[in-house]
Amino acid sequence: MKALLAGLCALALSSALCGCVKAAEEIYAPDDYPGWARTTAILLNYPIPGHENRLRIPRMNAKGFTAAPRAQGGKLVWDFPEDTTIVKEVFASANPAPGEKPIQLTIMAKDPTDKRAQAGWLWITKDLPDGKETVFTGNFCVTCHANANEQHPYGDGNPNEDFRDYVYFVPGESVPKGQLSQQPAYR
Amino acid sequence: MRFRSLTFTVNLFLVLALAAGVGLVMAAFTFSLLSSRDQLTRSNLLQQGNIIYTSIANFMLPGNAPLAVKFVSQIAISSPESAISLYRRDGVPAFSDNATIEKVNSNQKKIKFEPRLAPGPQEPRPAGPRFKEATANPPQEVFFRESEGGHTYFRAYRPLINLPKCSVCHGADHTVRGVIDIRSDVSSVIRTQNLTIAGGAGGFLLVVGLLALFIGTFLRSLVLSPIQSIGRLCAEVTSGRFEGRVDLRAKNEIGDLGRTVNQMVSGLRERFELTKYVSRGTIGALTEGEKPQRVQRTLLFTDVRGFTAYTEKTDPERVVGALNRLLERQAEIIHEWGGDIDKFVGDEVVSVFAGEDAAARACRAARDIVRLCAMRAQDFDGLAVGVGAATGPIIQGMIGSERRADFTVIGDSVNIASRLCSIAKAGQVIVSDSTKAAAGLELIFKGPFGAKLKGKTAAQKVWILETAEGSTQEAGS
Repeated sequence: MKALLAGLCALALSSALCGCVKAAEEIYAPDDYPGWARTTAILLNYPIPGHENRLRIPRMNAKGFTAAPRAQGGKLVWDFPEDTTIVKEVFASANPAPGEKPIQLTIMAKDPTDKRAQAGWLWITKDLPDGKETVFTGNFCVTCHANANEQHPYGDGNPNEDFRDYVYFVPGESVPKGQLSQQPAYR
Repeated sequence: MRFRSLTFTVNLFLVLALAAGVGLVMAAFTFSLLSSRDQLTRSNLLQQGNIIYTSIANFMLPGNAPLAVKFVSQIAISSPESAISLYRRDGVPAFSDNATIEKVNSNQKKIKFEPRLAPGPQEPRPAGPRFKEATANPPQEVFFRESEGGHTYFRAYRPLINLPKCSVCHGADHTVRGVIDIRSDVSSVIRTQNLTIAGGAGGFLLVVGLLALFIGTFLRSLVLSPIQSIGRLCAEVTSGRFEGRVDLRAKNEIGDLGRTVNQMVSGLRERFELTKYVSRGTIGALTEGEKPQRVQRTLLFTDVRGFTAYTEKTDPERVVGALNRLLERQAEIIHEWGGDIDKFVGDEVVSVFAGEDAAARACRAARDIVRLCAMRAQDFDGLAVGVGAATGPIIQGMIGSERRADFTVIGDSVNIASRLCSIAKAGQVIVSDSTKAAAGLELIFKGPFGAKLKGKTAAQKVWILETAEGSTQEAGS
């Protein structure tokens, strides 16, 4: 009887601890993300809806660069592999000072198994400098990025309306004349 | 602790239990109903918003904004319970002026659209934090409830995002193009649901009341009433009335209890009746199986003086009446002083006193009896008693045959007490020397006297108890 009571107490205690201690959350933008390669050579300092008049620098982990498009119905279909992560640094202005840090990171993490995923991606914001990551549950991000799969005004403009998996600047995209970035030394 | 009747407690418990149980179900039902209504309406409004959003976006892209205006107005006509409005992000109704057309023409650096000659529909501007929330960056879909003019509306603000493909005409310096405002009149739905909830609440109260009444009646007839009957019977028995019985015919535990109580009361009544005819010692012997034993006792005999002569000249009924009153009062006095009536023998009373102060109590009983006869002589038709008392070892046990026996006393002290009684005059109490010695100093005796008793060769030393008022030397006097 005492053993039974002790077991029940232990079970209740462990349940209480499980309820109180939050499981460690996944970090989508690791500390070494600045070492990741940029997804485009274009200087993204022109105004766009969502980020408006702020400089953006998108970087992608090595996993994302393994993606290769396949031809389907006269179009190219991109399907970035699971665990692809794209981190877009957002600065306070269009022309930040050299060495200035971004104010926010917006992140696309490919994880179709996650219930919060929209179009196969998790849409995350990371406020700096507190480092808090928040998975975006609204459809604002995905609605806007859906335009990447159609003709749009950025980069090469996706003239063939290839399916680019919601990513505006896919690896190997040709840079239209006059849009090449001068790649300022922000980092 | 305050008395609270079982009936009240059971009924209170029933009502509370039913109210809690059925109430929880009702509350869950109501909450579920309201929650599902809100969720359904919210889902429907947001779905409408998505459809309208897609429609408007597709009208806009080829430059068919007027079609969007017509689309919205036709929706309003076909669905009067729903109002759909389109606002720019600054809250101005869309297409109400030429601002957008001029902006597009400016961005396109050509006259893509001709400005309108007449102003468009003028609608009230939405305002407040909800609209700001819908047009913030990032924009949020907003759903809320509001009341106006006695009607209740569910309302949704669905932001129109300035997609990159839209920014070609509208510019890229803003994130939200405008807001689709969908307002749905849900007054009738809410009214119907309120009626349903009110009906449910009424039904709940009715069910609780009926269940409480039904279960309460059932419990009262099955448990409470029988227990109350048994309680009343016990109260009657406590006050000395043994005639009552409980009428419980149920073949269950309560019925068994009632029958057991009836048997118990019957037994008590028999025992009570028995005490009228036999001594308490006899009853004690019956119940405790007392064996014959030699014990120290004080024997008290009283006998009416001149009774034979009285009976010869007095009507029998009057004789019996007077004698019974006298015997009754003697018995009461003897019991009051802790004595036990051993037997009534005609006009004679034989009583036994036990205990350390038996002699003193016996003498006081004798004194009170004599005083009673003197003071209330008319009650007893002038009859008076002589009293004798003796103290010493006696044999106490069942004396008689198997069919008829008494638990009584025999021995020399019994005989002496009887003899002393026989020589005592009316109103006189004669006690043996042993009784006087054991009675203590508070009582006053005259003597000693020598008395020649039947069966005794030598004269016995005897004493006469002073019985007059004030003759007792109470402690401290």
